[in-house]
Amino acid sequence: VTRVVKRNGLSLAFGAIFLGALALQALAGQHEVNHERLLSGGESISLAAYVSSSLFWADVMENWQSEYLQFTLYIFATVWLVQQGSNESKEPSRIGRESDEEQQVGEHVTRDSPRWAKAGGWRTALLSNSLVLVMGTIFLLSWLGQSIAGRVAYNADQLDNQAAPVSWPEYLLTPDFWSRTLQNWQSEFLAVGSMVILSVYLRQRGSPESKPVGAPHAETASEG
Amino acid sequence: MGDVRAVFLLYLAVIAAGLAIAIVLGLLGQ
Repeated sequence: VTRVVKRNGLSLAFGAIFLGALALQALAGQHEVNHERLLSGGESISLAAYVSSSLFWADVMENWQSEYLQFTLYIFATVWLVQQGSNESKEPSRIGRESDEEQQVGEHVTRDSPRWAKAGGWRTALLSNSLVLVMGTIFLLSWLGQSIAGRVAYNADQLDNQAAPVSWPEYLLTPDFWSRTLQNWQSEFLAVGSMVILSVYLRQRGSPESKPVGAPHAETASEG
Repeated sequence: MGDVRAVFLLYLAVIAAGLAIAIVLGLLGQ
């Protein structure tokens, strides 16, 4: 068991802090809602009612979609765009989808290559783009979830203030939807751009996200 | 690699569950 945990430490540790943060988000969110209800003279809501409400899930989805958009864009953009000196970029000479030899497909598959890499045709084409496809699908579904849950939360607020509820297409045009969306996007784009350019001149000894400490600033795509 | 595949599938399952709960609760108007 210890060996299994150690071998999967990175994904298990992040999975654990994800669940912890989600639980704390639920608690804090419930208290926030109850604080507002107290101020407006409404009844308080239980934790169970809160975590099964669109109020909670709109907030969860809003943050999910921006994270998956960030990674989807980053995976796709790094095929075509490079940053001289960045560990997050490949060499300028390798811009594009690269040769079959570099990608170990076609006649360059090895004995240990995935079955779908060896298969050729649509299977290899699908495997060749599967990371962007899956991350992009999660982005689209969580953005859809944000819009569906966000509309319910928005309408509850509308009704509390004697205003008319909106349909789903109408909600997509509200400032509420775009404010929730864009406030998350802007921070993701800044963070990604920062990773790209800060990794040119800054280092973290021992991290594969950094170049080796002694690697030249001009060196692109090295691993630490 | 069996344990690695299990963690991979666990992640996909958690993500799918989150997406499904959000969309279904929203569609139900909860």
